Amino acid sequence: MPDFRSLLGAAYEWVDERLGLKPIVEHAMEKRVPEHKHSFWYYWGGICLFLFLVQVLTGVLLMVYYRPGPDAYDSVRQITYEIQFGWLIRSLHAWSANLMIFAVFVHMFSVFFMKAYRNPREFGWWTGLGLLGLCMVFGFSGYLLPMDELAFFATRVGLAIPETIPGMSHIISAVLRGGPEVSSATLQRFFALHVVVLPALFAPLLGIHLWLVQKHGNAMPPSEEAKPLAERKSVLFFPNFALRDMAVWLVVLNVLALLAVFSPWQLDAQADALKSAPVGIHPEWYFMSQFEALKLLGRVITGTLGEIVGIGMFTLALVMWALVPLFDTRTAGGRRARQTTYFGLLILIALIALTIIGYLEVA
Amino acid sequence: MNYPIWDVPILGSGLVIAMIAIFHVFVSHFAVGGGFYLPMTETLALSKGRKDWMVILKKHAKFFLILTGVFGALTGVGIWFAIGNASPEGTSTLIHYWVFAWGIEWVVFLVELSSIAAYYYLWNRVSDSLHLQLGWFYGVTAWLSLFLINGILTFMLTPSQAWLEAAGSGQETFAFWSAFFNPTFWPSLLVRTLICISMAGVFALVSASRINGEQQPELKTEMTLWARRWLLPAFILLPVAMFWYLSEVPPAQRALLSLGVSTVGPGLFTVLTRLALVFIISSFATVAAVYLFTSQRNAPGFGLGSALTVAAMAYLTIGSMEMLREMLRKPYVISQHMFSNGVRKSAVASINQQGYLATTIWVRPEERARWAAADEAAAHGAPRVPDPVRGELIFRGECMACHTMDGYRSMRKLMKGRDSKGISNMLNVLHDYREDSPYRVFMPPLVGTQAEVEALADYLTVKVAEKPAK
Amino acid sequence: MSEAPQDSGQESSISRRVFVRTGIAAAGACYAAALGYPIYQYLAAAAQKAEVEASVKEVVLNDVDKLPAPAALMFKFSGRPAMLIRHADGSWTALSAVCTHLGCTVQFDPGKDLITCACHGGVYNPNTGANISGPPPKPLTLFNVVVNQGKAVISRA
Repeated sequence: MPDFRSLLGAAYEWVDERLGLKPIVEHAMEKRVPEHKHSFWYYWGGICLFLFLVQVLTGVLLMVYYRPGPDAYDSVRQITYEIQFGWLIRSLHAWSANLMIFAVFVHMFSVFFMKAYRNPREFGWWTGLGLLGLCMVFGFSGYLLPMDELAFFATRVGLAIPETIPGMSHIISAVLRGGPEVSSATLQRFFALHVVVLPALFAPLLGIHLWLVQKHGNAMPPSEEAKPLAERKSVLFFPNFALRDMAVWLVVLNVLALLAVFSPWQLDAQADALKSAPVGIHPEWYFMSQFEALKLLGRVITGTLGEIVGIGMFTLALVMWALVPLFDTRTAGGRRARQTTYFGLLILIALIALTIIGYLEVA
Repeated sequence: MNYPIWDVPILGSGLVIAMIAIFHVFVSHFAVGGGFYLPMTETLALSKGRKDWMVILKKHAKFFLILTGVFGALTGVGIWFAIGNASPEGTSTLIHYWVFAWGIEWVVFLVELSSIAAYYYLWNRVSDSLHLQLGWFYGVTAWLSLFLINGILTFMLTPSQAWLEAAGSGQETFAFWSAFFNPTFWPSLLVRTLICISMAGVFALVSASRINGEQQPELKTEMTLWARRWLLPAFILLPVAMFWYLSEVPPAQRALLSLGVSTVGPGLFTVLTRLALVFIISSFATVAAVYLFTSQRNAPGFGLGSALTVAAMAYLTIGSMEMLREMLRKPYVISQHMFSNGVRKSAVASINQQGYLATTIWVRPEERARWAAADEAAAHGAPRVPDPVRGELIFRGECMACHTMDGYRSMRKLMKGRDSKGISNMLNVLHDYREDSPYRVFMPPLVGTQAEVEALADYLTVKVAEKPAK
Repeated sequence: MSEAPQDSGQESSISRRVFVRTGIAAAGACYAAALGYPIYQYLAAAAQKAEVEASVKEVVLNDVDKLPAPAALMFKFSGRPAMLIRHADGSWTALSAVCTHLGCTVQFDPGKDLITCACHGGVYNPNTGANISGPPPKPLTLFNVVVNQGKAVISRA
């Protein structure tokens, strides 16, 4: 039997002579992951990455049979009901999308409460927020692609919201919607967005985000930082934590498979612009809180003013959220740290409550 | 319809059996696998003089005794309770035929439970060699209990030609051995034994995870690495064993597996494919996750959370395997002999002539008279009066074994959008039971007189109209 | 797997290790195949469908009496382009419309009563499919056609 180890070693030497990999590899092999009672949350960034990879793989497979344009509905119908295991690929893609956004929120909030946005990790926070935004647009654009009733009306309602801002209507019509109504033109743009533009933006941003994590290492929560160096425990990333990461990925794959197999995505009737919107139409759960907040605000401040105030409040909250690392710095006193934590709890509870209320209202 | 119908809302009686039985398999297979794990580990510990291993093993044995002795036994009896209520005709047939096998089984249980109690409570009170012998004795009797139930369970899917020929003649016991050692007996025994060995490992990992890795890292590493090896036999041999099992399953049943390959629309019988997919993925993921969680120097940090996650995945694997096995057997509860709703294949012709409700004892004389009058009138050309009450009785007797109205396999959802003509047409397809009927793969024939079929259509039409399609 | 201290007998454990490792590799391969199977079937679905279509033995076209004479109707036979020609004298010809030169789809010119290929100027006889002029090396494949009460049944010759 050939000695694979020495063959591999020789290959490594050959490549390293030309690319200078050794310092990078050695640095990676030194990387350690802190071990403490909150270490569980370190897995979530990896879970987001895994789900993204599932999205890429299943997305490419779907593109083999998906036909953007007037044939879109029929192509999705064929994928779901005619092509071997098409239902599985589609269901994996749809479920993974939902799980990924969920994982991104868990990841973001765990980073927030562990205060991992502090110096030197501010850019990690900002790239992360950028990635979250891109994920939401991925979700919104992908949702339209089957062109069934649900997709059509959800998109119509979704695009109508920013339209209330004066001046936006023309831009939305011209650029996003491709006309006064959601149509095949909208579909083609959303497809280009979903399949080319967003991935082209996402990939480098993700690359920077991951590089920053490698550069700065995993952050420790303040309680752990308070401990003396001798008491702090850590494990090597390669191979120990990486292997555990793989195990967690397998568990997530299992959960995903379970969801895709027992609750496969079906297809509604084909979109018909002349039909009235079904009662209780609502966006997917990750937009539900904003949707519901606007609805509730609209009862207090009616009309366009209500919408503008609502959108304005979101924007303000988002800006505050982004600026948290500049407010709650490492050198700031305990008061700022506490205030930030309360702010985070407020936002988290508000998001959950609004989502639940939203669903109760449409039930 | 000799027995009252067990109406379980939302879940349906079948799912009650499933929930109890899957938990039972989860625990009982640990009971058998652990029966070998305990004495083998003890042998290893004694040969190396490792007292620290024995301390952990004793704790594991206590965990074992309580889990299997209490929950295993409880859920085992729970299965009796559930199947007796859900499928009394089927259970009655099994009892009539297998009563001696079960008698032996209960003797084995008695011995099994006594020996595990002795094994635990006599720890450190008898000699090492006697203690070991008790452990092995327990292991063998535990495996025997699996051996016996395996015969009865596999009989339900492949009763063997000899038994089928003797069924109903009163001479069935002459086919006892053919029926016991039926075509799927040996592959199923292999599959289950492999699962038992795996479950021993899964639960041993739970015990190992509770060792304090900071205080006793070497001990924890050794026990974790020893426990995880128990997952390997199944990992390596299950593909072969499942292949063997499926090759012995009748081809018509096996064909059900491919129904979900190209489509997953509601109302189509694609659940088998989906279960198979879950089974493959979760059985692989369970083993792979274990090896990843405990690889390199990760073992001392292997926590209870990870161990329970693995146990959950093993539960999923077992659940999907058991549901797969059950679904393969549809529409029968005893293949080629008795359908899931208790109707015997041999009785179909006579029931179609006499009527399904004709032989039931749970009908009041006034109702029977009313139907007779209605049938008389219809025979003389009078317009048919819809009779949803009669139809409801047919539904309860023939359909509720597998369908609920609004929950699992919702009848209302399946009939959504159909009017009385559409429902009547579909029921007649079920009643005619032709070779090319798409329902034949999974459903029994709808038996009864034409008047009863129409009455059922009346009932279902009323139900569908109550909650119109959105 | 580094549990050597627990193995009794180093020599047997080495070959046992090889056995176990081979077993794991084999099982792993089985699992990989089982997991890859849905993806393979998904990708192969289109080709399988094409194969089914290609095995089509005959095609029925309705309402062909509505076709003026002379004119041609394009249709698909076994997934490939084909042509049904109603000649001025009332006779029918069915033939493959795939040019034998480089595979372009040919067309019928009723004015000149010729089949021509726009790609490189090939010319065929509309009654026999014979290649008359231009680059095509072989004639177009003829099909059997029976027309009855407006229905044309086309099958392989």
